[in-house]
Amino acid sequence: MRRVAVIGVGVTKFGKHDRTSSELFAEAAADALADAEISASRVQALYYGNVVGSETEHQLHTGPQAASILGIPAIPTTRFETACASSHAAFRHAVMEVAAGVSDVVLVGGGERVLNVPTPESTEYFAYASDAVWEQTLGLTFPGVFALIARAHMQKYGTTEAQMAAVAVKNHKHGTLNPKAQFQKEITLEQVLKSAYVADPLKLFDCCPFTDGGAAVVLTSEEVARRSRRPVWVLASAAASDWMLLGDKRDLSRVPATERAAAAAYKQAGLTPTDVDVVELHDCFTIAEIVATEGLGLFEPGAGGLAAEKGMTSLGGAIPVNPSGGLKAKGHPIGATGAAQIAEIVTQLRGEAGPRQVDQARVGLTHTLGGNTATVLVSLFGRD
Amino acid sequence: MTEPVITLQRFFARAREGRLTGVRCGKCGALAIPPKELCPACYERAWEPVPLAGEGTIASYTVIRVAPRAYTADVPYAVAVVKLKEGVSLLGRIVEIPLDKLAVGLPVRFRPLVKGDQTAVGFGPA
Ligand SMILES: [Zn+2]
Repeated sequence: MRRVAVIGVGVTKFGKHDRTSSELFAEAAADALADAEISASRVQALYYGNVVGSETEHQLHTGPQAASILGIPAIPTTRFETACASSHAAFRHAVMEVAAGVSDVVLVGGGERVLNVPTPESTEYFAYASDAVWEQTLGLTFPGVFALIARAHMQKYGTTEAQMAAVAVKNHKHGTLNPKAQFQKEITLEQVLKSAYVADPLKLFDCCPFTDGGAAVVLTSEEVARRSRRPVWVLASAAASDWMLLGDKRDLSRVPATERAAAAAYKQAGLTPTDVDVVELHDCFTIAEIVATEGLGLFEPGAGGLAAEKGMTSLGGAIPVNPSGGLKAKGHPIGATGAAQIAEIVTQLRGEAGPRQVDQARVGLTHTLGGNTATVLVSLFGRD
Repeated sequence: MTEPVITLQRFFARAREGRLTGVRCGKCGALAIPPKELCPACYERAWEPVPLAGEGTIASYTVIRVAPRAYTADVPYAVAVVKLKEGVSLLGRIVEIPLDKLAVGLPVRFRPLVKGDQTAVGFGPA
């Protein structure tokens, strides 16, 4: 297998846009190609993440649509859908294609638009990522899934609402350092704890927002990357799944797909959790960040809440998590999130993250979770 | 082609009458609900339907206050993962239990949730 590098990244401003998801992706993709200093004529394939386009934009077939709007219609393109992990799943596919020698230059990205519909409607569409027969019929929501996980974690380990709130406070603080973030405003622990319950024990400020946005990265073979200015190497890209139904999951306080994908990624890269300097992980809810830090082996199971409260995951802490502001503050345009996380880690490893730069960042990790925890992608990155 | 032991349609037809049905593997004895095509423990295809008592305890629960479109009139409502006494778990809507009485470990009993043609899993007081 050949070595694979990321040589260019692009991310739109996250928030509300009066533009289609494909337009948002195309802006990010053109930025990524400019960043890579490579012509669009060199791109041999596009793998694209988009989740609720058929619901919010009445648009299927978003792969070729995104390629057309970008202006490169003739290449092979496929839309990936693994709920919120879609563009990270697309990324893994592209890594394998370049590693296998099928293509030398591949574009990966995603776009999502949801703020054009009211919240009860987007809440319904996001719930489509849970089972239609067994779970949607109960009125289960996305926050509801993570509320069930939060309660199980609190019950088993004594994790507190204040520890979860500390994650929100930290990610909002990081978000103030990211001009692309949807929220660039600090919040207090008290504000989080006093916000209204959405799905007990999760409150409004425990939840990431609905977001429109696009993100893209340019992947190339080592040969092409050697001619670029600052390649970041893909050390591993791994995926895992788990039971679709919450009732089939043995222990709701853990996410086995995270543990499996992380184990596979560390093995591919020949690294351990202590080798990781910076992490962008899937904090769709504050509890999701706590459980992910445990599943990735950064902390023991049950220790993630206290670690967040002690500031171990803040910029300047033992292992900075979500310097971009995470899904919580940067925003979560679901089809684009995986690519946006990769863009942040590449920026960090290049040393170009400005005020949110993690010192001496040599190895970075991205973790993206799909929907009801049934899909997880983990990738590892390094610099020369 | 092998005839499925229990289809989703048949499961919900029985559930509508108040009967909860699982499947037990004829090869390794594993119990599953909902029914699956292959046994996840031994990968064989030798299921037998088994009636379940419908009794269990709450493993985790949440009170949903921001609902999907079709359920906005129901808020606030609770859903819970219930561990059945046979050892398998199922997600259900909580009915006839005051929200402030909900607790992990609370005993509950299966109640079909019938709305027109649709049947879903509910749990009420034990
Ligand atoms: Zn079996």
